[in-house]
Amino acid sequence: MAQEMIEGINPTRMELLKLKQREKLAVKGHSLLKEKRNALIMEFFNILERVKGSRDEVSLKLQEAYQDLTAAQVMMGDLSVKKAAMSVTESVDVDIDSRSVMGVVVPVIESEISQRTIVERGYGFMDTSVKLDEAARKFEESIQLIIELGEIEKTIMLLASEIESTKRRVNALEHIIIPRIENTVKYIEMRLEEMERESFVRLKMVKKTMEESEEAL
Amino acid sequence: MSSKIAVMADPDTVTGFMLGGIKDGFPVSNMDEAGDKLKELAKEYSIIITTEEIGDNFREMIDKISSESALPMIIEIPDKKGSVERESDPIRELIKRVIGVEMVE
Repeated sequence: MAQEMIEGINPTRMELLKLKQREKLAVKGHSLLKEKRNALIMEFFNILERVKGSRDEVSLKLQEAYQDLTAAQVMMGDLSVKKAAMSVTESVDVDIDSRSVMGVVVPVIESEISQRTIVERGYGFMDTSVKLDEAARKFEESIQLIIELGEIEKTIMLLASEIESTKRRVNALEHIIIPRIENTVKYIEMRLEEMERESFVRLKMVKKTMEESEEAL
Repeated sequence: MSSKIAVMADPDTVTGFMLGGIKDGFPVSNMDEAGDKLKELAKEYSIIITTEEIGDNFREMIDKISSESALPMIIEIPDKKGSVERESDPIRELIKRVIGVEMVE
């Protein structure tokens, strides 16, 4: 592998110049991609700080919410809970924007979930229990957390796939393309030098034979 | 642009989230129904909340949907029975693959 080079290249000065240009470009591209990769990884670490514990927090909150919901169902009956749920007014207002991190478009969610009072929720008090209010409040809180979590996880996924492909390109350039061009450049240079030496020797020989024939005359 | 949120899960979970104020709840009772519904919802909504159980059943489809574009985002949450015990957390697996070391415990 060490001596791998581009196939079917003529050892000429033109090719050499072209290859040197390509090598320059490849090296430049490599360093740019490397910078991109580092920036992405830095961003990735920032996000990781946020994801820690976020999922646990959501499951904890939901657990409580489910408990209250079940309690409400036990007290009021399945159907009345469903009926109350149907009449709850919409509380979530989500705005999805996008932000670009080194060319990766990641979502930024601005959610506005109003913490509402019992009156604003929209179900009647006659046949509902306190547990239902509790459950509704906890679900509202959970939704906020869940949406945040969704944003973070989505960002992680998008960044991760971009990091992977950037990594692959950096490695391909570093370990395959650049060495291959370097080897080819070396090969052409050596061939050219060899040809120069050959013609030098040939000239010497010609000169020698000419001198000899002059002497013979 | 205001975005729409949908919940697609078992009836109890949907009831809960509707109580929390999400208007578009789609209760599904079996997995076949869930798959069709998910496909349908992915076209229309930008945030879809579903349960881990459904998520595990349609892992391939969800991965395909979420890798294609930034939206919709599909969020999996534990259901009433609690968090599904997984051998490996998909997010953690991903982080491990990208960074090369275990980061989050």
